[in-house]
Amino acid sequence: MAAVADSATKVPTLQELLDMEKMTLSSKTRAAQSPTEQWMRYLGFPGGILLFLLIYFLPAGAGLSAAAQSGAACFALALVWWVTEPFPTYVTSLVLMFLLLVTRTSNAKAIMDVLGMEVIWLNLLAFILASMLVKTRLAKRMALWLVVRFGHKASWALLAFLVLQLVLAPLIPATAARCVMTLPLMIVVATIYGSTESTPNAFGKNMMLLNLACISVLSSITMTGSSANLIAVGLIQNMGGQRVYYMDWMRVGAPVAILTMVLMWLLGQKLLFRMKPEEQVPQVEGGLDLVRHQFEAMGPLGFQEKKAIAIFGLVLFLWMTDIFHMRWFGVEISAPFAALLGAVIVLFPRWGILSWAEADIPWHLLIFSAGAYAGGLALDSTGAAEWGVRQLFGGMNLKGVPFGITYTVVISVMMYSHLLTTSKTVRTLIMIPIIITLAKALGWSPISLALPAALCIDWVVGLPISGKPNVIMFSTNQYTVGDNFKYGMLTCTLGVVILVISAATWFHWLGITPSFWAVAP
Amino acid sequence: MKTLRLLALLLMSTGLALAADLQNYTIRLQAQRDGSGQGLATLQVKDLAAGTLSLPLGFAAAEELHLEGAPAGVRLEASPHNGMTALKLQIPQELPGRTTLRWSFRLKQVFQNTQPKPGEKSTLPAGSRLFRHAFVNTQEDVLGAYRLEFLLPEGFMFQTIREQLPKLAKSEVEPRVRLDKLDGCQSATLQCSKLMQGDGLSMVLEVVPVRKSWAWLVAGLTLAGLYLYYFRDLVAAPERR
Repeated sequence: MAAVADSATKVPTLQELLDMEKMTLSSKTRAAQSPTEQWMRYLGFPGGILLFLLIYFLPAGAGLSAAAQSGAACFALALVWWVTEPFPTYVTSLVLMFLLLVTRTSNAKAIMDVLGMEVIWLNLLAFILASMLVKTRLAKRMALWLVVRFGHKASWALLAFLVLQLVLAPLIPATAARCVMTLPLMIVVATIYGSTESTPNAFGKNMMLLNLACISVLSSITMTGSSANLIAVGLIQNMGGQRVYYMDWMRVGAPVAILTMVLMWLLGQKLLFRMKPEEQVPQVEGGLDLVRHQFEAMGPLGFQEKKAIAIFGLVLFLWMTDIFHMRWFGVEISAPFAALLGAVIVLFPRWGILSWAEADIPWHLLIFSAGAYAGGLALDSTGAAEWGVRQLFGGMNLKGVPFGITYTVVISVMMYSHLLTTSKTVRTLIMIPIIITLAKALGWSPISLALPAALCIDWVVGLPISGKPNVIMFSTNQYTVGDNFKYGMLTCTLGVVILVISAATWFHWLGITPSFWAVAP
Repeated sequence: MKTLRLLALLLMSTGLALAADLQNYTIRLQAQRDGSGQGLATLQVKDLAAGTLSLPLGFAAAEELHLEGAPAGVRLEASPHNGMTALKLQIPQELPGRTTLRWSFRLKQVFQNTQPKPGEKSTLPAGSRLFRHAFVNTQEDVLGAYRLEFLLPEGFMFQTIREQLPKLAKSEVEPRVRLDKLDGCQSATLQCSKLMQGDGLSMVLEVVPVRKSWAWLVAGLTLAGLYLYYFRDLVAAPERR
């Protein structure tokens, strides 16, 4: 992130831009980009405190315990600070964890235990595997090959990135890592097509926003695409009593995400940011040739790269075949343990690829996640989240309403709710349990509403603060907040439409949703 | 022959179990500021046979037991059993159809004694109290539904639900314990349906006085003020930074 931010101040050479080994996930706070952001940071700190005090001192709600009320107050404070960033997000997480204890919302064990959660382990191990890809230059090779192969025309160059993100999404669960790894290539190709930080054009907007949407949306292809997906799967299993396997998720998630992104690839160019004829061809003479030279200079696949392919292949194989593990091995190797096996091989002395010091593990992201989980779990265990969404859905009388209407309401709320939070995990921890409860209360199978809703978790594309990749991409200055909002809203709306059509057809044929117009008994 | 006799006994016992269709057993317990509690139990039964109906109350040392509503001739007795109050309802004749039986009782102390012994570490802050209720269906009939509505006196609220058992079954929608407001008081309702003999349910609630420490307000506003003063350079004009 720091490397990307620095790139804004001096013009880097093509060689520098392609030096992905130097890209690390820095814990440094991003500098405020505009006077509005500076004021947000300045007022965010007292704003968060005032909101905390307001909720904390409100008269007790009828169905709310004191712990739930103080939990909501702590979480509101953290949310304001995460959005306005008076502190780095991980410091806010640490403050939140302390507040949860001293307000007696959660006990020390419950707060500390989050660092041992499955999702934290998966994040950590995924970063070790991602470091292996960067060190062996396999990620760079894949990216360069795609650009050389498809980058002759603007539309094809954009499509090449769609394919690149599609390939990387199941391999690297961390969206920020995927973003950091591919951003240099985006900048290079945008430059080749005449879009720079000082002279952004329609191609640059399409390039950055399509990639941003792809990084987020394509994470919903697999249940290991993001840690929030795994949390949703766990909630569906624990609360809904229904198991979602890797292939179950993929069968519903992949068509929706891929179709949406292909449509956005078209609509971005034809509707939102139309490219002038001169923007549709490479504008830097020899630009693509330079990329080709880079690719050719890499030579044939090295031994380390082949080893990386084999290790990733093994992990991916275990992720994809979890449904058969019990039959084959007599034990289920869950997603974090498959990654753990990969990490063991990667870090193995002499035979491995990395030393521990070479693994780029962003502990600040894990601490941020831990705080978010602690807050989300506190909202859940105290009943505050359920109370909140009960108030939200309680206003709508969905009893006796056809499934399709309920489904559309749930999907829309889930999809657009990302505008109000910065953490997919927190949103998942709040929304999915309530959707499961709602499904049970209305007489529908929990999976019929919760799984399609879980597919919306990763669609955090509306604002530059909606997710980490959003913040990183926004630092390129190739598009405005308005451009981001326009593109994000079209993506989300398209997603809602496709999910609704899927519920009436594909999901129903798979036995996930009942008939669209069915009324619960 | 022995097997047949056992089978016959089993059938007879099943027949006895079905003799009383206990549909709903609800207890409303209003806690008082002094820690005592006033309870009102309502039992809805269908086709009640003549004889003695034994029921657990789920509280120890219930006092001032009064039958508030029942068909003529029905008598109520209480006796301690395994540390709890066991009730015996004498039904003089068969009561066909649906019958509602109602009785009241008083508890001297509804909250647990949480005072630490000398030298022991306190596990609750000052002013907090614990309410624990456990109910086990000790009689042989299936109990259709059991509810305990626990109402707090004014000036108190629930800090947290410390325990709620058993875990919800997949088919259950309602939470085991729901916090709400009944008759203007904050209430907690523990509920479970289809309780077989030996099945039980329980909840532990922490109760605190409704008062918030003003230290939060003082500390929060002081921190906010200090931040606004010492971090004002964040929004200062570039030349003044």
